[in-house]
Amino acid sequence: MDRRTVLSVLGAAVASLLVAVPAGEAQKPIKVGFPMIMSGPGALFGEPAAKGAQMFVDEANAAGGVLGRKLELVVRDTKGNADEAVRVSRELILRENVDFLVGTLTSAEGPAVSVVAKENKIVFIAPIPKTDQLTAPDKLHPYVFRVASTTTIEGRTAAELMSKWNVKRIATISPDYAYGQDVTKAFVDYVKKLKPGVEIVDQQWPKLGEADYTPFINAQMVKKPEAVFSSLWGGHFVTFAKQARPLGYFDAIKHNFFGAGEAASPETAKAMKDDYPFGIWGNSYDAFYWTEGPPAHREYVRRVSAYLKDEHPSSWAIQGYIGMQALTAAIKKANSTDSDKVARALLGLTIDTPHGKLTIREKDHQANRAQIYGKTVKDPKLGFAVMRPAVYIDPAKFMD
Amino acid sequence: MPDPSFLFAQALSGLTVAMFLFLIASGLSLIFGVLRVLNFAHGSFYMLGAYLAWQFVQWVGTGPGRFWWAAAGAAAGIAVLGGLVERLLLRHLYGKDELYQLLFTYALVLILSDVAKVAWGTGQLSVSRPPGLDGAVRLAGTVVPYYNLFILLLGPAIAVAFWVVLYRTRAGRLIRAAALDREMLGALGTDVNRLYTGVFVLGSFLAGLGGALVTPVKTIVPGMDVEIIVEAFIVVVIGGLGSFWGTFLGALVYGQVLSFGILVIPRFSIFSVFALMAVVLILRPWGLLGRPLR
Amino acid sequence: MSRLRRVPWGGLALAAALAVPAFGSRFYTFVATDVVILALFAVSLNLLLGYTGLVSFGHAAYFAIGAYTCGILMKKAAVPFALAWPAGGLLAAALALVFGFFCVRLTKIYFAMLTLAFAQIVWAICFKWNDVTGGEQGMPEVPYPELAWMARLPGLGDLRTSDHFYLLTVVLVGLCLGILRRIVGSPFGRILTTIRENPERAEFIGVDVRRYELVAFVIAGGFAGLAGALFGIFNRGVFPDFAYWPKSSEALIMTLLGGMGHFWGPAVGALVLLVLNQQITAYTEYWPFVLGTILIVLLFAFPGGIVGALDAAARRLGRRR
Repeated sequence: MDRRTVLSVLGAAVASLLVAVPAGEAQKPIKVGFPMIMSGPGALFGEPAAKGAQMFVDEANAAGGVLGRKLELVVRDTKGNADEAVRVSRELILRENVDFLVGTLTSAEGPAVSVVAKENKIVFIAPIPKTDQLTAPDKLHPYVFRVASTTTIEGRTAAELMSKWNVKRIATISPDYAYGQDVTKAFVDYVKKLKPGVEIVDQQWPKLGEADYTPFINAQMVKKPEAVFSSLWGGHFVTFAKQARPLGYFDAIKHNFFGAGEAASPETAKAMKDDYPFGIWGNSYDAFYWTEGPPAHREYVRRVSAYLKDEHPSSWAIQGYIGMQALTAAIKKANSTDSDKVARALLGLTIDTPHGKLTIREKDHQANRAQIYGKTVKDPKLGFAVMRPAVYIDPAKFMD
Repeated sequence: MPDPSFLFAQALSGLTVAMFLFLIASGLSLIFGVLRVLNFAHGSFYMLGAYLAWQFVQWVGTGPGRFWWAAAGAAAGIAVLGGLVERLLLRHLYGKDELYQLLFTYALVLILSDVAKVAWGTGQLSVSRPPGLDGAVRLAGTVVPYYNLFILLLGPAIAVAFWVVLYRTRAGRLIRAAALDREMLGALGTDVNRLYTGVFVLGSFLAGLGGALVTPVKTIVPGMDVEIIVEAFIVVVIGGLGSFWGTFLGALVYGQVLSFGILVIPRFSIFSVFALMAVVLILRPWGLLGRPLR
Repeated sequence: MSRLRRVPWGGLALAAALAVPAFGSRFYTFVATDVVILALFAVSLNLLLGYTGLVSFGHAAYFAIGAYTCGILMKKAAVPFALAWPAGGLLAAALALVFGFFCVRLTKIYFAMLTLAFAQIVWAICFKWNDVTGGEQGMPEVPYPELAWMARLPGLGDLRTSDHFYLLTVVLVGLCLGILRRIVGSPFGRILTTIRENPERAEFIGVDVRRYELVAFVIAGGFAGLAGALFGIFNRGVFPDFAYWPKSSEALIMTLLGGMGHFWGPAVGALVLLVLNQQITAYTEYWPFVLGTILIVLLFAFPGGIVGALDAAARRLGRRR
């Protein structure tokens, strides 16, 4: 026998594996594909988002399902790669036969999966990617929708907040990739518009995942900025802050620091405890301690704490939750699971989220989703930083 | 002409980068130099060392001196893990193609990253600086945190300690001999197997220690194993195979290139380490202090 | 046994591949296209690994260059596929020539590390050159080639575009594999094997080892580029991850899994790895753990890979008869 025989025998064996693929279903649930980052540095956002979505699904099914059918969430790990996100999305469509897609996290994954959704004519709701590219006029199509905020909204909100500070010399530090570049540009353009006397004295661009920020911190401090805009997020922000604080960075700018990229999120604050540079400003998608929020929010926090078994639940679960909320509201309104009908139902749809009313506007399929902003201070009871006061800033005027 | 105290501060920043990297690369270089194994899992050991340190800190608290116990415990734990891996698995691959050893360590990376995920989840964890080294000192117009100073001194201390062990002790002589000619050493009666295990354990100890000591200045997140390993590899290769001082020098050079590179080309950071490696290997194929391998 | 050898297994495999669209399943076509393209990628790597003994950690760089070249030409310059595809392969081969020139001066680990460095530089350029490559977000929506003419061929009229593209891929990849088979069977290929077994001896008998290694490097890079160009279209988008080192390691694993010592080994490896990946990720999020375990079992128990193991088993069976 020779190796070609071997190849064919093997081929037959594996082909039989493939045949096992198409599954027969007795009762047909509504399947929603959820490509999300479940491993690597982004997992700290992706995993809670998936859990938030699952919580919504469990609640909906307990209440009788949608259009009499159960919802089923099919989660797949995108590993933070646009390439992998495309692959798993196509597998979800072709193999799992999902009816809709909700997911993706990074600014590369979102637009990539959007193309897949367009070619397969499946509704795709993005709960986290902030890149403007997702809903830009040349990339927009009937099936893509976003319930996340955008880099434009985030940058401009920060610019408006910072324009009220008594500072003229501003610096920026952001990771050198799409998200960091876009949000910083949105910030710089808008702050110059609001306050023409402002001077951008320094811009640092550490690579994404930089291990050591000391050279960048140092180079920035020499330029003597009075305020800093940063979009370092998650673990990157924690590393940066831990290295910057002993160098006197935050003291030098009198804590006139704005940490976009959710630097004031409860998980970041909790992880850092007393190492947190209390007094800086930041934002977060959600904050369980947000006492100024609507009653629906307090209700949500109670449920999500129980679901996640955490008295300080993650601030990212809400995005998965809202994504599923939008989808099911549209399904109900369209009274169908046909993507074309659901896509039409999503246009102009208003839903009641734990943060209040959210509307997906027809112009660019973008929801008026903002974040909670505030100056941080140490909460004596919780033992870590909280935003106080925590304000949900309406994004309407920042959206073109 | 830029301010001299700024130049000094930037050079110091570069040194900080260098010493943190050397902490991790030293163990890699040792294993590389003696066992000729490019241990991908070194980054995983480093990450597990960090997680273990965090875990121990949760258990013993943050009182005076506790951090050092936690760090030592973490390093010891990783040393044990390294020993087990070497004795039970890696040893059987020595005779085979280098590629097999490499892919084995890569397989370890995959496995250990999921182990960490199961044990500690996907969130970010952080450890504070030990109370004794919390402040900072003013030096020539710039602020130097005590902890950074500690690492700046620890790096060369480890390098010197290694030099002493390798060149002034019997064990060191055996290690050097094993690096040069394993078979001959075995023929002369030394238990080379035990020696190899010992070296791997020591290298793993250094990885775990590096991970533990880095926790006060970095976040512990999934993916930190992969983020660090490529940079550590490159520093070892730039320095030269088998040369411990080469690794030290490589780290120093890299730190300064990054530090001053970003002043010249602000968005240079992503290229820095690869460009440096390419330049070094093109001009001096065996690294800065290496010897030809053929 | 000689009767079995005379059966055209390669032709049968080709026929089987061509028959996939007949199943009418979009999923089967999807998987099959993926496998066929990555098989070419892995086989091109094996030219270096299995035949010349060169361990390259940066093979994905050429895959990416082919993908970006073809994608950019087709999307931004509306160049037809018939020109864009070979252009992808040519540019990849050209860069392999440049990088390879420096790499072959080194040996073993240094060679591997320099290939990695170049690959990471390619990645960094793709990641940052926003205007040309789309930066970190890549180029989603690479157009399909003009395939309307396929609908006019007998029997292919009512197949989908993805099926048409799949069949085109099978033909093109089959062609490439055929050429590669010829190369490894030729005197040139035999010299490569000599180099792998003992570079000093090859040098001694007058072979210019570096020149041969460089040629092998360029050929391997060129075919990787051709595979990448196809993949960019199949994937509906080109992204910097194509050049990132895990992609290179994926090719290495496929080659090892299938078997470095056989021409078809990496192709088998591609098939098995992809199918396994799909099946297992449907049940657990811990696919890396599973893959790592499989790798370790392979390294210890089946170093010849799947084809190697089956070959050895078959030979043992043959001898007993």
